[in-house]
Amino acid sequence: MPIGGFVVQTEPAATEKVKKELACLQGVEVYASDEKGNIVIVIESNSSDDMEEIVKKITSMEGVFTTGLAYLNAEDEVEKIEKGEYIPNISLGHNKPH
Amino acid sequence: MGLSRREFLKRTAALTAASYVGLELPFTLHKEASAADVDKWVRGSCRLCGVGCRLDLGVKNGRGVALRGVPESRTNLGYLCMKGMLFYKVMGHPERLTKPLYREKKDQPFKEISWDEALDIAAKKFAGAVTAYGNDSVAYYGSGQALTEETYIFQKVMRGGLKTNNVEGNPRLCMASAVGGYLTSFGADEPIGSYADIEKAHCFFIIGSNMAEAHPVIFRRLMRRKLDNPDKVKVINVDPRVSPTSRIADMHMQFKPGTDLAILNAMAYVIINEKLYDEKFINDYAVFRMGKEKKQVDFAAYKKFLEDYTPEKAAAICGGNITPEKIRTAAHWFAKSPATMSLWTMGINQRKRGVWANNLIHNLHILTGQLLKPGADSFSLTGQPNACGGVREGGGLCHILPGHRLVKIEKLRNQVEEAWGIPKGRIPPKPGYHTVAMFEAINAGKIKAIWINCTSPAQSLPNADKYRKGMSREDCFIVVTDIFPTKTTELANLVLPTAFHFEKTGVYGCTERRSQLTPKAIDPPKGAKPEVWIVREWALRLAKELNDPVIKQCVAPFIGKEEGYELPKAIWDEYSQKLTKNRDNDLRGATYEVLKSMPDGVQWPAPTEAFAKTGGTVKKFVRGIDPLADKEAKDDKPYQFYGPAHKDRKLWIWLRPYKGPAEAPDAEYPFYLSTGRIIDHWHTTSMTGRIPELMRANPYAYVEVNPADAKRLGIKPGDMVEVESRRGKNVLPAKVYEGPIEGMVFVYWHDMHEDRMINRVTKDAYDPGSKEPEFKICACRIKRVSGPKPLKPYIVT
Repeated sequence: MPIGGFVVQTEPAATEKVKKELACLQGVEVYASDEKGNIVIVIESNSSDDMEEIVKKITSMEGVFTTGLAYLNAEDEVEKIEKGEYIPNISLGHNKPH
Repeated sequence: MGLSRREFLKRTAALTAASYVGLELPFTLHKEASAADVDKWVRGSCRLCGVGCRLDLGVKNGRGVALRGVPESRTNLGYLCMKGMLFYKVMGHPERLTKPLYREKKDQPFKEISWDEALDIAAKKFAGAVTAYGNDSVAYYGSGQALTEETYIFQKVMRGGLKTNNVEGNPRLCMASAVGGYLTSFGADEPIGSYADIEKAHCFFIIGSNMAEAHPVIFRRLMRRKLDNPDKVKVINVDPRVSPTSRIADMHMQFKPGTDLAILNAMAYVIINEKLYDEKFINDYAVFRMGKEKKQVDFAAYKKFLEDYTPEKAAAICGGNITPEKIRTAAHWFAKSPATMSLWTMGINQRKRGVWANNLIHNLHILTGQLLKPGADSFSLTGQPNACGGVREGGGLCHILPGHRLVKIEKLRNQVEEAWGIPKGRIPPKPGYHTVAMFEAINAGKIKAIWINCTSPAQSLPNADKYRKGMSREDCFIVVTDIFPTKTTELANLVLPTAFHFEKTGVYGCTERRSQLTPKAIDPPKGAKPEVWIVREWALRLAKELNDPVIKQCVAPFIGKEEGYELPKAIWDEYSQKLTKNRDNDLRGATYEVLKSMPDGVQWPAPTEAFAKTGGTVKKFVRGIDPLADKEAKDDKPYQFYGPAHKDRKLWIWLRPYKGPAEAPDAEYPFYLSTGRIIDHWHTTSMTGRIPELMRANPYAYVEVNPADAKRLGIKPGDMVEVESRRGKNVLPAKVYEGPIEGMVFVYWHDMHEDRMINRVTKDAYDPGSKEPEFKICACRIKRVSGPKPLKPYIVT
């Protein structure tokens, strides 16, 4: 169950609309926002893969530019990886020239 | 306190994020509590792209379990992207390589052997090849993801020890054209400016880059600048494909692939003919040149040359949405903004005329004086964390030695030999094979032993089948050092397990000339070793096998050093103090001690520790900012171009004609095929088999088809589509959307499955100057083969 703290960067005119949409997403909690379009959220997900899915969904929302990660804790997932209960699927980064 | 562990972690996450934007939350955590999430934080760099984000790895019970950004860092200002998750996923992954694996013949199964046996075999095979077939029968192929210490020691042993310049690396495939462009336009490699220009720019010219997906953290900075100044800041995106980057642009210029050289010349035409240029800047600092012989010509000749590129003529060449008016507007925005910054990546570099495309971008900056002042720069973004630092600066390509020295110049070779304490003449004068030539030499049976480090050419080379055939030859002994099995380990004789990032110590040099240290934070899996240890031990055995004390001399300063920190430190000391001394990438001030003390490392040139501690050189060539500009000044002018490649100390404006791609579509293969990377290509999610999820998650490569083409060919979303070129074919699911321009298809290339490995289809034509292949453009045909099919992920085991 990784936990991540993010700053979602939005178009200021769309901030309130995005906040409402974020509040509907499971595992997403909105903490604060400002007039510049920054929204502070925490995502709690079942796995890193799920968290990545949620972040992708947020980034593709109308009015959202980026979803910047500030803090991530995955201590229980790491434990699961170590115990062999969870095997992350990894296609290797270095299988690419750039 | 009464907080549950999870609630405590959530509050920590929220407070950290809120602190980035100065927001108050209705709760706090007192100091003791806020330190309780992990045992310790170890500060290093992310290694998953070229931006150089600084992060702290949270270590608990000897394992990496958490990440947080470093807000004081001048690269990422604290922000990270989701690629960072790969750290903890990789570190404890049960499929990590942990034992040396060997087989004499490539059709045999691997068997586990000891490190002693493995190093003996590697030494015997390389020594045997050198003895029987000569020094140039062996080669090293490295990576922009290797640490500088690793690239440096590998190339030292190859050149100084084994007397060959067959030293190459995958940066040839991604930034060699940028190197060629910087050297021929500005006389020195690597950008003049920094990310810091983003906050001062008024016009962004983004060409051949989908930075929203590929460099999201830098894109965030750019968007912040735009959002804070919506009326003042313009964004121009030049790309044949609609992407998340183009969607935020004030102007998106969409054109037939490969015709952007005409757009760039047409913008220059407008700048000249509408007198938008900076005459004083040109007179003071620039000359015009043309042709192979670099002949100097005058302004009138340049003006005449541009007559072939009126906006009307260029618009006719480019197609898409390009109109003469659009070209004129773009030229005006570019030239008249108080500061213009260009940014590009592979769309410009991976081209038959990649160096020329780079030159033509630089031309616009030189003509308009949009250089050297705050916010103005011609800035190539890099894809890998250490293509700049390790490979470009550390001697990781066949024609360059450490410290931006050319192999072919005797004086420079002698400087290196002297620094290494080896006999004069030991480094051969002839550059080695560049990447495509190296793998062609394997095909031809000329290379008998190759060491491939931290990269997978069996997947990443264009026209991959042609080169996989050569790599499967029994007379070519292949050693691979890596952390996981790959398509290349499938063709290896000897596979050596290595330590991952944060499991060893070393320096990465990111896009903006910035070197940053990542110290060892946790132990590698038992059995995996850092490359610097592997090379040292191999070299000592090589010296014995070949009875050659000079090979031993190459690693003598490092014998007995502890491998986790002392050994890489000794290698860095030698490289930075001896090899960068008085070179344009002078890193003498960037000692491990200084690097450790900085939140974000040091930008070269940084000749002294005192200067390095200020952060180094934000802007090259500017007196008062760059210490070398002051030291090397030849007159009173504020800008001093001391780069090694231009003896006239001028910026060069090039007359480069428009040339199309090596292979344009024709009746038989009527589509353009372009390839690229995706933000999450670093990992694939587990298979769902259902098409909507599949498209959302992007776990497999797919082919993007323009709706007009899809309609014409009867292709529906999710249908299986065959993409075939003269070299090979793939069968992939279709994504139908307004991404690629009509007549073009686009495929991401992260998938290792044989059916979806797009480099089996791409072309291996390369730029005659930079030798970088044209991954971005070739001709193909497509057809629907079936409706949607469930797919299986492919992971090499």
